[in-house]
Amino acid sequence: MLDNLSTSLKDAVKKLAGKTVIDRAAVDELVRDLQRALLQADVNVKLVMQLSQAIKQRALEEEPPKGMGAREHVLRIVYQELVRLMGTPGEVTLGPQTILMAGLQGSGKTTTTAKLARFFQRKGLRVGVICADTFRPGAYDQLKTLCDRIGVPCFGDPDETDALAIVREGLPRFRKQYEVVIIDTQGRHALEEHLIEEIVNINRISHADHRWLVIDAALGQQASEQARRFHEAIGIDGVLVTKMDGTAKGGGALSAVAETQSGIVFIGSGETIEDLERFNPDGFISRLLGMGDLKALVERAEEAVSVEDIDVNAMLKGKFTLRDMYKQLEALNKMGPLKQIMSMLPLGGMQIPDDAYDITSTKMARYKVIMDSMTPQELDDPAIIGSSRVQRIAHGAGVAPEDVRDLIKYYKTMQRALKGMRGMGGGKFNMQRMMKKFGRTP
Amino acid sequence: MFDSLKKKLQNVKTKFASNIEEAAEAEPAPQPAEQPAEPQPLPAPPREEEAPAEERDKPTLFNKVKVLVRDREILLQEKDIEEPLFELEMILLENDVALPVTDEIIARMRKDLVGRHKKIGSSVDDLVTSTLRSALCGVLGEGLDLLDYVRESERPVKILFTGVNGTGKTTTVAKVGHYLQKNGFSVVIGAGDTFRAGAIEQLRTHADRLGIKVIHHQAGADPSAVLFDAVQYARAHSIDVVLADTAGRFHNRANLMNQLEKIRRVMKPDLVVYVDEAVAGNDAVIRADEFNRTVGTDAVVLTKADMDPKGGAAISIAHTIGKPILFLGTGQGYDDILPFEPRVVVNELLGDGT
Repeated sequence: MLDNLSTSLKDAVKKLAGKTVIDRAAVDELVRDLQRALLQADVNVKLVMQLSQAIKQRALEEEPPKGMGAREHVLRIVYQELVRLMGTPGEVTLGPQTILMAGLQGSGKTTTTAKLARFFQRKGLRVGVICADTFRPGAYDQLKTLCDRIGVPCFGDPDETDALAIVREGLPRFRKQYEVVIIDTQGRHALEEHLIEEIVNINRISHADHRWLVIDAALGQQASEQARRFHEAIGIDGVLVTKMDGTAKGGGALSAVAETQSGIVFIGSGETIEDLERFNPDGFISRLLGMGDLKALVERAEEAVSVEDIDVNAMLKGKFTLRDMYKQLEALNKMGPLKQIMSMLPLGGMQIPDDAYDITSTKMARYKVIMDSMTPQELDDPAIIGSSRVQRIAHGAGVAPEDVRDLIKYYKTMQRALKGMRGMGGGKFNMQRMMKKFGRTP
Repeated sequence: MFDSLKKKLQNVKTKFASNIEEAAEAEPAPQPAEQPAEPQPLPAPPREEEAPAEERDKPTLFNKVKVLVRDREILLQEKDIEEPLFELEMILLENDVALPVTDEIIARMRKDLVGRHKKIGSSVDDLVTSTLRSALCGVLGEGLDLLDYVRESERPVKILFTGVNGTGKTTTVAKVGHYLQKNGFSVVIGAGDTFRAGAIEQLRTHADRLGIKVIHHQAGADPSAVLFDAVQYARAHSIDVVLADTAGRFHNRANLMNQLEKIRRVMKPDLVVYVDEAVAGNDAVIRADEFNRTVGTDAVVLTKADMDPKGGAAISIAHTIGKPILFLGTGQGYDDILPFEPRVVVNELLGDGT
């Protein structure tokens, strides 16, 4: 189901490729697929609608910068708008501080508290944890067990029923001894007024520096409402997304970010205490959309300097020389893995043989070195490379002769692939455009 | 329960109704213009017996129009309901009905409404309500009464609780235990969550308060063995129901799912109850489906339904795996558990008792 979705999104992106003028229908389709992807990722419906409006408007109204194709232009807008939605990553200071954890029942506050303690501990800070969850049976045991494993002191009392009393007693003591104090609280939701009142009081007496809201990645549209009320109650200044190791996309966290005007600080992605990551907006976007690294693509497209145009027509006639391949490899280096880029191109039914992709970046670098040791004649007419030339080239490039042969073999594969394309059906016009794309952007 | 969804559904109903009314008003007007040859058909009063056989046989445009006008019926067109359908779609999405499920409900509504004849004068409201009701009922299916089930099954009845992390399995086990006990059944709980720190303590505290026996091993023990022991205990002490708690696990962890599969093989549960939260979004569908495929699911419990629930997760999960919803968890107390009756919920959503 999800695969279908990201495929259709990719298809929509593909349709934009190779177009010089931005086509309204293509943008509409892209926006619609984007909407579906985001809704499926639990992003708030209203946010999705705002976002798609903004993208549509900008894509159709803004002039693409010179030299940027329609696809790159639209992708860039999509990316920029998504980043805006994401907010800036919440700040984490490595100094003395008190952190108050808040969140719904079962969102993973206790586990995350222990993970955070581990994080600060590894940064060389002295950390203490206070268990202010006096309601859930076993809460103290759970936190204590986790803290014992990493040697972090945990303050609490399973027999005490007043969370405020625990904080009042433990906090001054821990503040004296430890630099970072994390207060775990009971799970609550926004409709439980006495519990909201409790956390307001904890916040008041603890003077916490940060009040972080823990959001389950699977939380749906409810995220926005809950986050708003928590924010009203205690002023949330950071969001932690948990359970990102499941299949949930965490779109609910974005609603929380939007409501609290804060940013995502950490991502919890596993059951062990080390499974806590700093938030990375690009990874998050990729996950939301279920497609590769959008930012990298956008950046690459922006950076990709105009490589000397490869003679597409000559290539179509089968005149694909090592020199062309060199240029391609050079361009590819700037763009990243061939397969990823090819997947974004409008190749339609064209199938590039898999072994043509089968070239790693280290291999690519080596190929370039080898080609640097070739004479211009050899580059223009690889057929003349005999075994003595192979020896010489290998010697010059400091590689084994097998590597040189390997390169020649790869060259032949590419050449065959290109010839094959020429032979296959499809109008010549399409072919040329496709080849141009192939030559220019990759 | 489900208040916001309810309010919004009411609004969209009105919207459907008014659009259909508009369509109805707009419809008869252009008829005379289209068919100038027909001598003033408008005043013709509805007289059924007048419809001649040969006319009915030829469904030409001319005849259709005649029928249309004579019976003062309108034919609902797609464009008449486009807007309210879109609105309904948004409402469902906003209420956490997963996207594929929303698509299907909308498609069903469209199919049911477009091309329907509506007699002028018959209540539009009824038409919309009944269509929406049948769409929702179709999705929610029949409920399942746990007490009846236990009464009719061979003792001990073994119930296994599954689900991802943090959905409230342990709390649900305690609540269900209390519910069964209140209804006169004896219960034993197997502490199958041997992974999460504090899980056994949590379950023991609950059970102590409720006066239910818990069978448990050390943390880190094999859950299958614990639950096997719980079943043995129930046999030996002729206890009616065994409730088996398990550790939360993500459906994309093959090893943990295999472990669950092993538990199922060893304790041979009569009912596998999948626990998820009512506030979950689209992922609810994916994981419910995955659990259903790997270890099977017989019924569903939705927890945290007191968090101003949107109710969408119920619709999504029920639709995806086609299994009845057993209970809604509605708070932190042991009594905060409600048997789920689809018809009651739908009626409540649509705002009348018929």
